[in-house]
Amino acid sequence: MKKLFLPVYFFTLFLFVIFSYLFTDQNLSYLHNIYTGLAANSRTIATMTYVIFVLLFFVFYYLILKYQKSINIKKIILVTSGILFLAYPAILSYDIFNYIATSKVLFFYRENPYILMPIEFVGDPLLIFTRAVNKVALYGPVWIKITGISFILGFDNYVLTLFNFKLLVILFYLGTIFLVSKISKNMKSVFLFALSPLIIMETLVSSHNDIVMMFFALLSFYFLIKKRIFLSLIFIIASILIKYSTIFLFPVFIYIILKTIRKESINWERVFFISALSMMLIFFLSFLREEIYPWYAIWFLVFSYLIPQRRNLLYLSNAISFGLLLSYAPFMFSGTYSGSTPLLKIILIFLPVLCLYLYLAVDRKFKFSKKLGTIKIS
Amino acid sequence: MRSCLWKTLLLLVFFLYLSTSAYAGSTYVLPYPSQMPGNKFYTINQVIEKVSYFWYFGNFGKSYYYQRLSDKYLVQAKTLFEYKQYLLAYKSLLKSNQYFEKIYPYLLSAKKEGKNTSEKQKILKEASRKHIEEFEKLKNNVPDKFKWTPEKDTPTNLNLWTTIDTSIAIRSKTL
Repeated sequence: MKKLFLPVYFFTLFLFVIFSYLFTDQNLSYLHNIYTGLAANSRTIATMTYVIFVLLFFVFYYLILKYQKSINIKKIILVTSGILFLAYPAILSYDIFNYIATSKVLFFYRENPYILMPIEFVGDPLLIFTRAVNKVALYGPVWIKITGISFILGFDNYVLTLFNFKLLVILFYLGTIFLVSKISKNMKSVFLFALSPLIIMETLVSSHNDIVMMFFALLSFYFLIKKRIFLSLIFIIASILIKYSTIFLFPVFIYIILKTIRKESINWERVFFISALSMMLIFFLSFLREEIYPWYAIWFLVFSYLIPQRRNLLYLSNAISFGLLLSYAPFMFSGTYSGSTPLLKIILIFLPVLCLYLYLAVDRKFKFSKKLGTIKIS
Repeated sequence: MRSCLWKTLLLLVFFLYLSTSAYAGSTYVLPYPSQMPGNKFYTINQVIEKVSYFWYFGNFGKSYYYQRLSDKYLVQAKTLFEYKQYLLAYKSLLKSNQYFEKIYPYLLSAKKEGKNTSEKQKILKEASRKHIEEFEKLKNNVPDKFKWTPEKDTPTNLNLWTTIDTSIAIRSKTL
């Protein structure tokens, strides 16, 4: 079993890569040769297959965590990254197209993406398939500057640029894993983070920049631990200037800096716990701005996995991750964001959390009554 | 029968006239008036305006920057004319003209870069029409010439109608 499940895991990832190409956009002229329209025309089959993949990923996640001692972590991370690098990035979200469009405004047209929207460049082939062309840049300047590397190295070839953006995000994913291992000094944290189905789907497949933001946030924490306040401040500012959300970590930072200056001891487990809770709070409040997007979970998952000893937080994080990945199914099935889709999404996000707490409550009651029984017998 | 035909024709002409006059106005929307000279925040506003020159980089960016300023100073001039602050209004009008003249060269440069400027030129034409509309209204409400005599200072002769005509001529070039 132990020897078999890893090749099966890699094979499943490979199948997922093939599955992802069923979702290629009809208007994405650069990949029109491989467009099948299967996901759009056979929605029930596509949705069911997707749900099966999500279930399989969580089963493998459980098995990997169970047999972690006999697994070569470096090998599994590199092979997973390598396989999913090949996946079509817009299966679950079209953000990567928006990243490229914003980058193009700055690095190709040499215009300010905070003033001009991609739609203002009439006749650009990107306009046909990029979703947020009627918006000015949504992300911070540090992110836009970083994407310049991927864009310029794309040499005006869209497919190459697309995979350059994927590679860039994968490099930050690997960097974040390195920081998780350095900060936690715990292999369990590394396994939990690196192979979390939500992290790998939103980072290695969909290439969301949230991982880049969290890389800089963790780098900042790393330098705080090393008591290098100036470097730490630079990196937290860099993190904020990627997607702004980590601004909610700033109070935690000020607290740690004050403690460091006063030479008081810092309980890092507590710091990461508070950071996870504050990022989780922002995650839940994100519906006030737009809606709860699955990739926003990366904001708190990074901290939750740093402190696996906080069991309740860990269970909650994984239950939310499961629900979030399932929440793609209603749109995949219906093809619309309106109607019952928003309600179904919310139900799917919170249902695993509800099930988890019901299970924990029953389990606790069962253990308690068992304990009472033991006391009575003795 | 003939009178009926005439009536119908007259009605048709009338409605056609109405429809043309309804669409004669530009759909371009001018901004609200910003801080006026003399306001304590006016200097800060001017500094922001100068600094934002660097924020609006690129040929489209610069054309947008100058278009915004041209609109801003036109609205400022209009407001000041209403309050009979002729010297300040006159200066604002000159500024609006100066900025307006800078828009088109940037669009030309953008075109040379290979950018499709058709939409931007359409917007510029709309803006020109709107500006001209405002100038024509303004001309009915201001004197031809005005001698501005400040306290303890030399007076200034303002050729208001000539300046308004020049402003119209500048805008007409883009139509």
